Amino acid sequence: MKKCLVYIILFLAGAIRSNCFAQVPLLNSYSPAAPAVYLDFDGAEVEGTIWNEHGKIVAAPSGLSPASVSWIYKIIADHFKLFNLNITTDPAVYDRAPRHQRIRIIITPDGNWWGPATGVSAIGSFIWGDDTPAFVFMNSLTDNPSYIAASATHQIGHTLGLQHQSVYDSYGAMITELSGGETNIFSNQAPLMGIPFYKQAVWRDGHPSTGARNFQSDTSVIAGAPNYIGYRKTEEMSNSTENAIKIERMNRSYISLISSGDYSFRLLEMSGRLLTQGMLKPGFNEIRTNSASSGILVLQWSGNSGSGSQKIIH
Amino acid sequence: MNTVKTLLTGICLFFSYLLSAQQKDTQSDLPYSNKIEVSNETLESLFQASGQISIDLAPGFHLEGAIQNRSEHGNSVVSLLINVQSRPGGMLNISRYRDEKGHLFYAGRLLKLHEQEGMMLVEKDNHYYFIETQQKFLVSE
Repeated sequence: MKKCLVYIILFLAGAIRSNCFAQVPLLNSYSPAAPAVYLDFDGAEVEGTIWNEHGKIVAAPSGLSPASVSWIYKIIADHFKLFNLNITTDPAVYDRAPRHQRIRIIITPDGNWWGPATGVSAIGSFIWGDDTPAFVFMNSLTDNPSYIAASATHQIGHTLGLQHQSVYDSYGAMITELSGGETNIFSNQAPLMGIPFYKQAVWRDGHPSTGARNFQSDTSVIAGAPNYIGYRKTEEMSNSTENAIKIERMNRSYISLISSGDYSFRLLEMSGRLLTQGMLKPGFNEIRTNSASSGILVLQWSGNSGSGSQKIIH
Repeated sequence: MNTVKTLLTGICLFFSYLLSAQQKDTQSDLPYSNKIEVSNETLESLFQASGQISIDLAPGFHLEGAIQNRSEHGNSVVSLLINVQSRPGGMLNISRYRDEKGHLFYAGRLLKLHEQEGMMLVEKDNHYYFIETQQKFLVSE
């Protein structure tokens, strides 16, 4: 009997040590990246931030199963796979991340302290350095893991400086602040910074809620200043950099390159300003630039055989 | 001949206007209704205060409040959360950053949750301004 008890105690100690009873699996989407988004499913107490108008906020644990957590994490990680950014469920990774390049997303059942919403965040808080978190409220999302993932991605987008993608009429008057995307024979997509729940949700280039005359390229804002995250350099992308696009030469008025296939491309400044875009054909291509577009540029390309990005010193 | 010249000038002006409009399209600065300059010394004095605060941030822009929270994040960031009594329910969240070369800079926002308008502290050419803007551009769902 004594022996049996000892075995049980040893088993429990081993199990705790190996984290097999942990509710939240420790996941990392891209460990080489120091900038981090911490998905906090464990509950939290928040004090001393702009959210604390009425004192301390006690956010309850999500209560999600490890399988649901992994599902939600995977969807979010997929949305950010282009970027040099680690989506993590490990608080220690968040603690080690640069103070001005990290955000905690608290995924909690109840948002009564705020009101009816699927989540809330402070725009640009990723770089604030004062640990102001963002929230996702599961009850408003019917506890549906896909909706929770979409809402979390949307809130992360806000913390990285993104405004809503909106729809305007031809006179520049706002039709709707949150674009629901389009459904036609060519596309069934919606912007992640619009209403991302009912269609295939994607990052978009479009007109944000700050006005019809403004332009917001979601991916460029995320990667560029002032977040300075940049794009991911995975082995796969390095290969595709070598094989898919090869810069031949450049001067102030053009960049010539060899493309391995048909790709759509965009050339951006690090600040996110779109310089030019178009199509690349297999073989030799020339991208016209102007003398003002100097410094570090980012070439993004996408096609059936893959996508990638490359920094260019111009 | 003069008519052709005038016409050409008109066309040039029109296209230069179009080009400048396109340049503007790429800017994403927040639309704001009011801008108030605040000196570095005034901002710094907030971080020297403790407890109750009563200060003119700028002529006609008085701040009466109490420090609700002061937190230091590493060596480089100090953040204050000030309960603004001169704007009941409002909160001023302001941080002072020190970069690797020892330069100080500030960022902050003055909000009352669920209000229409909020203020954001922005820096331009070494001058700091509180700009009044729609709060949905600062806090979003």
